[in-house]
Amino acid sequence: MNERLQRMSTSGLLADRKVTQLMGFTTFIFLIFTIFSFNIFFTPENFRSMAYQVPEIAILSIAVMLSMLTGGIDLSIVGISNAAALVAAYIMTEQMSATGEISSLWIIIACLSGILIGLICGVINSILIAILNVTPILATLATMTLFNGIAIGITNGISVSDLPKQFIRVGNGTFFGIPTPFVLMVAIAAFVGFLINRTGLGLKLLLIGTNRKAAQYSVMGDRKVIAWTYILSGFLSSLAGLIIAARTSAASPDFGNSYILLAIVIVVLGGINPLGGFGTVTGVVLATVVLQMVSSGFNALRFSQFFYLAAQGGVLVAVMILNTVLENRRVNKSINKSLES
Amino acid sequence: MNIRKLLRRNETVLIFAIIIFSLVIGSKSPEFFTTANLFDILRSSFVQLLFALGVLIVIISGGIDVSFPIVGIFAGYTAVVMMRKFQLNEESLLIPITLAIIIGAILGGFNAIAIAGFGIPTLIATLGTAGIFRGLMLSFIGASFISDIPVGLDNFSTADLIKFESDAGTLVRLHVLVIPVAVITIAVSLLLNRTIFGRSVYALGGGIEPTRRLGISIKRTQAKIYMLVGGLSGLAGILYVSLQRKANPYDLAGSELDVIAAVVLGGASIMGGYGTVFGTVLGVLFINMMKNNLVLLGVSSSWQRAAVGVLLVLGITIQAIGENRKSKRQKTAANKEKE
Repeated sequence: MNERLQRMSTSGLLADRKVTQLMGFTTFIFLIFTIFSFNIFFTPENFRSMAYQVPEIAILSIAVMLSMLTGGIDLSIVGISNAAALVAAYIMTEQMSATGEISSLWIIIACLSGILIGLICGVINSILIAILNVTPILATLATMTLFNGIAIGITNGISVSDLPKQFIRVGNGTFFGIPTPFVLMVAIAAFVGFLINRTGLGLKLLLIGTNRKAAQYSVMGDRKVIAWTYILSGFLSSLAGLIIAARTSAASPDFGNSYILLAIVIVVLGGINPLGGFGTVTGVVLATVVLQMVSSGFNALRFSQFFYLAAQGGVLVAVMILNTVLENRRVNKSINKSLES
Repeated sequence: MNIRKLLRRNETVLIFAIIIFSLVIGSKSPEFFTTANLFDILRSSFVQLLFALGVLIVIISGGIDVSFPIVGIFAGYTAVVMMRKFQLNEESLLIPITLAIIIGAILGGFNAIAIAGFGIPTLIATLGTAGIFRGLMLSFIGASFISDIPVGLDNFSTADLIKFESDAGTLVRLHVLVIPVAVITIAVSLLLNRTIFGRSVYALGGGIEPTRRLGISIKRTQAKIYMLVGGLSGLAGILYVSLQRKANPYDLAGSELDVIAAVVLGGASIMGGYGTVFGTVLGVLFINMMKNNLVLLGVSSSWQRAAVGVLLVLGITIQAIGENRKSKRQKTAANKEKE
């Protein structure tokens, strides 16, 4: 019993250590870019623009994190966010062209319909994964094609632009001096953090990710939990889609295809184990900030955007290699220790 | 019993689907049942089939590769750039193809290092390497469209095996590639079914630990798989460049889903351990037949992607239901035995 307690406390420490490492890494990156391009990087304008760009990708990453905690993955996030944004944008522009003006009520209705689309997409994923037992990679790969295809079909591949001013204000305005999307992100991150750490659903989610078989035998309704995971992931993706639409004043079926890779890079960099069972929201948000700083820093140093793409892939592979090497070393150490005693 | 088993096979279902689909389209528009259309479907399938064979090998081994289109276009584009830069014999067809295969195999080697060497989950490893390859290609090798590709490659795009004018006056052409592609398909089938390497690929998909106990080196098998797939993708990439008569570094990215869809529709199990070359060929043909001819059915081209998505969701649903039934049957059989 005592031993188990000890193990639990070390795993708790480890959890903190990952976040601490990441904080160190964040500061390091920050210092590097501050030194190399002080005039452009270290300006209020740059920080403000970063605060507008971070939220959408952070929310998408949190959505991926949820599915990864259960040992699955959700590749359809971008498909869902675009579909949700398109539906909302479509309702708004239709309403605007009919009357020329649009009331706040209609904007809320449009946003709610977008979120509803996200939930429906999440339910489709859930049916495939939780009820039909399809592997998450395959199921979400298929639904990603499907959602994207439907979005292209409906819009003919053309983006919907010129959204109402009240809506754009949400994406570009400030809330007590802080950019509104950033405030929304903090609220969502807090909500998901609460869900994972303080509720039964969150605990079950982590347990399923640690050991699916054991979770099945303990009759916790593992299918139900997994279904909720993907519905929640769809919900978060639709919110991200609405924020993107509000910031860019447009919705398009092929926006942000590169975000899937980016979201997975962020989640892995944030210390989430891709095989499930462990991860923190703080880690994900910090990792988003790191990558945004790298992106802005590269911009300031005038590197090409393709170089940033290569850097993303490089970071993903490097972090994974580092994780396996460290893990192997830890296992070897503990084996040696037990051999000695 | 045997007939029942045969009926339950994915390939049989797919053949029926192809027949029904052709009858539906054929009844709507007579253009469908022409040699020209058949040859067109074949021509658009060549490159995809080569990619699909590579993906099939990876999927049988229990992994998934999303970097292959990037590896393909990287190899094809770089081969063309190298031909230019080193002023190699423009007439030659063999030089660019060899170059592309070597480049593809080297890139596959990087995947192999990440997957076999460090044990990174295959999806994450190949997502990462795809980003690296694409980024490096566009920032260091070139980001501009090359429209005047070497003469040898350019001529090859119109090298036809059969060429005649049909009654309707349209030119019917069957590309010479049909022979090498058929040879490679048969070679991959033999490789998977008749060699120790092929059988160890299946074993690896069945389970890593049992394979290890059989005395098969997991790392060596995985390394071979990813290098082989890299080489195949390189070949597919340069052939794509040749058939398109231009080298565009932005091409092919995003086409991985269609290929994976074809392989999965062909009955390969994404969990590994099961899949046939014949099924993959049928899957590729089916997807291309659909994409080329949906327009004849009155479906506009912007709905094509959605159609592929619907097909994919249907395919995996049918497969999953079959799997669930099978495991249920096994369970009840096991229970009966106990009683």
